[in-house]
Amino acid sequence: MITNPLRDPRDRRLPRVPEPCALVVFGITGDLARKKLLPAVYDLANRGLLPTNFALLGFARRDWGDEDFAELAREAAHKAARTPWREEVWDRLATSVRFVQGSFDDDNAFDQLAATLDELEGTHGIGGNAAFYLSIPPAMFPVVLKQMQRTGMADSTPERWRRVVVEKPFGHDLESSRQLNALVDSVFTAEDVFRIDHYLGKETVQNLMALRFANTLFEPIWNGHFVDSVQITMAEDVGIGGRAQFYEQTGAARDVLQNHLLQLLALTAMEEPVELSAEEIRTEKLKVLRAVSLPEDLSTFAVRGQYEQGWLAGQRATGYRQEEGVDPHSRTETYAAVRLGVETRRWAGVPFYLRTGKRLPRRVTEIALVFKRAPHLPFADTDTEELGNNQLVVRVQPDEGVTLKFGSKVPGSVMEVRDVSMDFLYGEQFTEASPEAYERLLLDVLLGDATLFPRNAEVEASWTVIDPLEQFWAGTTPQPYRAGEWGPRAADEMLAVEGRRWRRP
Amino acid sequence: MTTLWDTTGSAVVKELAAQRRTGGAVLSGVALTLVVVADEGRVAEAEEAATAAAEQHPCRLLIVVRRQIDAPHPRLDAEVLIGGRLGPGEAVVMRMYGRLALHAESVVLPLLAADAPVVTWWHGPPPGRLATDALAVIADRRITDSSLADDQVAALHTRAEDYAPGDTDLAWTRSTPWRTTLTSALDSVAGRRGEAVRLRGGQVEGDPDNATARLLAGWVGARCGCDVPLVSATRRPGPSGVSAVVLQLDQDEQVRVEADRRGGAAITQPFRPDSTVALPDRQLGDLIGEELRRLDPDEPFADALEAATGVSGLSDRSPVREHVWVDPAQAAPSDGQMAPEVPADSVDSDEVALEGEHDTAERVP
Repeated sequence: MITNPLRDPRDRRLPRVPEPCALVVFGITGDLARKKLLPAVYDLANRGLLPTNFALLGFARRDWGDEDFAELAREAAHKAARTPWREEVWDRLATSVRFVQGSFDDDNAFDQLAATLDELEGTHGIGGNAAFYLSIPPAMFPVVLKQMQRTGMADSTPERWRRVVVEKPFGHDLESSRQLNALVDSVFTAEDVFRIDHYLGKETVQNLMALRFANTLFEPIWNGHFVDSVQITMAEDVGIGGRAQFYEQTGAARDVLQNHLLQLLALTAMEEPVELSAEEIRTEKLKVLRAVSLPEDLSTFAVRGQYEQGWLAGQRATGYRQEEGVDPHSRTETYAAVRLGVETRRWAGVPFYLRTGKRLPRRVTEIALVFKRAPHLPFADTDTEELGNNQLVVRVQPDEGVTLKFGSKVPGSVMEVRDVSMDFLYGEQFTEASPEAYERLLLDVLLGDATLFPRNAEVEASWTVIDPLEQFWAGTTPQPYRAGEWGPRAADEMLAVEGRRWRRP
Repeated sequence: MTTLWDTTGSAVVKELAAQRRTGGAVLSGVALTLVVVADEGRVAEAEEAATAAAEQHPCRLLIVVRRQIDAPHPRLDAEVLIGGRLGPGEAVVMRMYGRLALHAESVVLPLLAADAPVVTWWHGPPPGRLATDALAVIADRRITDSSLADDQVAALHTRAEDYAPGDTDLAWTRSTPWRTTLTSALDSVAGRRGEAVRLRGGQVEGDPDNATARLLAGWVGARCGCDVPLVSATRRPGPSGVSAVVLQLDQDEQVRVEADRRGGAAITQPFRPDSTVALPDRQLGDLIGEELRRLDPDEPFADALEAATGVSGLSDRSPVREHVWVDPAQAAPSDGQMAPEVPADSVDSDEVALEGEHDTAERVP
């Protein structure tokens, strides 16, 4: 029902703007808040996408006044904003910025927070609506959530909504993620919980759905009859940075495979949703995740690695075990590759090769569909020596776009066929103008649109895939690879035993 | 970049192809062709805006400058750029002299990106009847700008008389921030009430001679089904021509949005404290960027234009125009039917144009 006479479904110039609300950020002094959240809030304001009545509330231990906080927020937003800086936009935003000081176990601080929220209702007219962004280590979740429950801040009522945003990691195995979900769900209702996987906010990932479901060209060949294998890669050239403590306990499989790669797999392999709504898309993704199977021979088809010192992009890179804060005998993996199957009629028999790693030659994320070779080639054998498999590659980042690789005749007097690639590239400028992932996701939270957020059951289904891997790997030492290489030798052998090889992204 | 002096359309096509081959991968994938018609005096402004828009929407940019329609020898000068001054894509700036200016489409047609939509934008006074300009007839979407006219209200009326689905006007685009703010203010009322809001009427305060203010009043009127007056504001309004809007709601409530002249708007609504939101005046490039986002007919614009001008039945007209040949040399200059209009600067003499000096393609590195 249209409750607003000015809204016209035909009028698509008008953007979706959330209802009046407050955004409460726990851990506002943290890295994520400064580098991503605060700039995203400014960009949203600058694009005119924030509601007419809006307030930003920061909560952290530091002893600050509203002004100190506003200053930090200004600096952070100014530094990382993607839209041009306009002082007047910030000035207006700054009038609705509040800071509450306190530690998470401090009852008074939370009473104060609740009081500030009530006060904002009077001064800023936020309508009682609030989204809580937990930009804090998961170990703190229980304390913070209990506090919110105690003060009644978490209760959605028909008059107002209260939502919570949770960052990964969503637990470290099935058991812990169940506990975490149970805890979050006991405080907030399930539809008010938003789990951020920022990859899903990327333009190209959303474009994957447009590519598959808006065109007639791709869907008929998007199955095991035509697809030989699927390779999903997320490579980073950086090391672990200052996150040694976190990384030592996590490793590549839990950090990336469990969430980003499995979500990309789900979007690639899912059936067409009945409609493009949050519930329907999540239903289809969940079906795929539940159908994911692990190989029987894990020793061949699940590889983990750890980088040793080497050279990367013309610079010397230290090995993982030599990084500051890392155990010199660490068995944490910085590279993980696995061959998964999707047990559905569409995908039975098609291997999905997933890999992720740090200190690989370049930063790249892509989904590559490798097609079967033509059943018969009417050419002489020598003519098609250079012809490989046709490929369709969705480049998630960088150089967002789509590549189609196919055979073409080499110009000349003899018939010779070799691979060429056809590129669709969003100009760098074009992607600049489109909203950043966090901006998009933050807006969706405030609008209550859960399309791009994985559901509870998806997270648990993903852990069901990862847990046996972790169990298998427990106690083993990861295979070494040199920084600046495409992973350990065993990962190449993993594909070679089936006559395939990794695509070089 | 290559400049071709006194050239032909096919030479331009060849040069564009040659540059694409040698230029390497600058941008691949073109979503549309944007044809810009501008006077010499406004061409720099139009180039800047078109470049900004091209950064958001990969497109082929064709800029047509019609000069000196009375020059004795028709002549075409063209500048072909890929990934240069005019953004990441392919761009051609064409200056047409003499009778060629009346047949601009003969140069433009072979340059259109294959099977992609065509958008024509007049940055300057458009012809009174768009059908008299072949560049309008080949376009899927036509962008005019009534706010450039001396008499904006009359220009708006001309646009309504001539309207066909697929037409749009930048005066309308300029109203988007206002419309967004008003809509979001009503969302907030509906959210508070938890039930539908009814719009009983309203009033727009601003410059009665401003096309954007007229269209905004027309839009509110079309949405509430009543007459929304546009009254003179006490303060001089900003470039949008609007200084405040009052919406009368059911339950005797009222929402008032007032521009604060510092890129923001103050919202006064019942049961909530006053608040301010961003209401920036946007650059021409952003306006064109917004126009290129959707290429289907804009029905809300038709409704607002109907309400603002009193001309009816706009949406029922055929979206296809038939080209009407009008020769400015035969038409009396005062009848307003002169089209394509001769740019004001054509009185200047241009020796080359008059003498018709021919030289070969000259490459500028």
